[in-house]
Amino acid sequence: MSLRLLFLDELKGYAKSKVMIVLWFGLPLLSLLIYFLQPNTEGVPISFLVGLLVSSIGGTLSGIMLSTSIVSEKNRHVYDLFLIRPVRRSSLLLAKFFAVYMCLVVAVVISLIFGLIIDEFTVGLSEYFLNETFESLIISMSSMAITCSIGIFFGVLVSSVPVAAILSVYLGSQLSSIILLPTFFIVTLNPVILALTLGISITSIIMSINMYLFSRQQF
Amino acid sequence: MTDICIEFNNVSKKYKTLLALDNISFNIQKGDIFGYIGPNGAGKTTTIKILVGLIRDFQGRVNLYGKDISINREEFHNIIGYHPQEAGFQVWRTVDHCLKTFGRLSGLSSEYLENRIQEILELINLSDVRDKKIVHLSGGMFQKLRLGQALLHKPEILVLDEPLSGLDPQMRYQFKKIIKKLAKSGITILFSSHILSDVQDIANKIGILNEGKIMRIGSPEELQSSFHIGNLIEIIFAKNTPLCDGIEAISDVENVEKVKNNKQLIYLKSNVDIDFSISQIMNKVLQQKCRIRSISLVKPSLEEVYLKYVGGETD
Repeated sequence: MSLRLLFLDELKGYAKSKVMIVLWFGLPLLSLLIYFLQPNTEGVPISFLVGLLVSSIGGTLSGIMLSTSIVSEKNRHVYDLFLIRPVRRSSLLLAKFFAVYMCLVVAVVISLIFGLIIDEFTVGLSEYFLNETFESLIISMSSMAITCSIGIFFGVLVSSVPVAAILSVYLGSQLSSIILLPTFFIVTLNPVILALTLGISITSIIMSINMYLFSRQQF
Repeated sequence: MTDICIEFNNVSKKYKTLLALDNISFNIQKGDIFGYIGPNGAGKTTTIKILVGLIRDFQGRVNLYGKDISINREEFHNIIGYHPQEAGFQVWRTVDHCLKTFGRLSGLSSEYLENRIQEILELINLSDVRDKKIVHLSGGMFQKLRLGQALLHKPEILVLDEPLSGLDPQMRYQFKKIIKKLAKSGITILFSSHILSDVQDIANKIGILNEGKIMRIGSPEELQSSFHIGNLIEIIFAKNTPLCDGIEAISDVENVEKVKNNKQLIYLKSNVDIDFSISQIMNKVLQQKCRIRSISLVKPSLEEVYLKYVGGETD
């Protein structure tokens, strides 16, 4: 009950925030800009590039947003008023994670639709393009899930907003690219299955650590 | 049988090397307005956080209506309302949204909350800003909102941590009025403060805390009478009449001090019979046909009592 309520509440909050406006409208516009600046993508679909762009910029932004909002809310004792009620500490973190992730998924979908529209008008959509786009979507979403969980990790662990932001920028986005590494060395690996497996397992592990650390913190 | 509502039994709390609470024990009865005073860092907030369940790692036992709060915390949430000293709100919320969220998290239905929020906002005079974003509220309104969220579920016990700090005089007056109104409705109130006048105005029972230890507990009158700053008698004479001479000669008197043209302070020796001393002084006054307005035994102010227990100095 409280998780659902907190999730919807956080979703409302993030949806209203300026960062999400940037993600939802800024990134699709950026994909358009990319096309007009560099129409020759050497056979790589725009939708694929857009997917990478969103996962990189969107993931980093979300990581920063999560880490800094948690640190700031901890410092302002925002959680006190939640924790005196029958609310699990883990629900607070999970609600934040799912709310931001949901917003990111919306941003990715909007951007990819933009990318696909451009591809349709320029080179025409083919099965290859759609497969590439699907692959790009799965990798982006797995990578963003890891970035978000790392953002929460720094939010829980650190007590300074700038430090949390810096760590999220430099470590969050770097660590999330771990899901792509094995495909560079083992070419037979299916990048979609690998990204899904690693994305879900790494995110679950980091979120479990986050919840454990958060439950031990003194408010 | 006494109607004990809150009971702290040998409660201690240590933060790494700092002993924040040192084996404190006290109880609060149903309907009490308990003023918990002490200097900053005395352990007031730690005590309160233990009571509301924000600190769970402590030694000792805390009971609410005889039941240990560590055993089934959710049961006690419905009983307690908590106004934190410094808790913030997510500023993107409106006042209405904020109260709705906390109400729902407290298990109240949306239909019930519609009316309840209106009642609360009327009580705390925030009806006009129901749809305003929290970020646009003033400090006093913010403080009222903290109180509002604590009252949503009609708690039997209200725990207020420094509810009057940072408020301007007008807002302090309003806040005290609200607290008194709530107390009249039968709610047991525990509130902390480091401002004595606030405690004196509101509380019927006071606990003085210093360096994690309970120094004294009692009603304001009990605290004042338990603390003898020396037996002191004040005589105020009628205007333009001479003061009384020769009081120093009375064997019980240690010293006489002229404070103003018409006021004398008479310090008595310790362990004297005050009633007998007063009658001796009165005889002297009558012998000299002095015209007096009043003669009274001076009691220490609550401030003097407080300063004695927290180690400060009186002037």
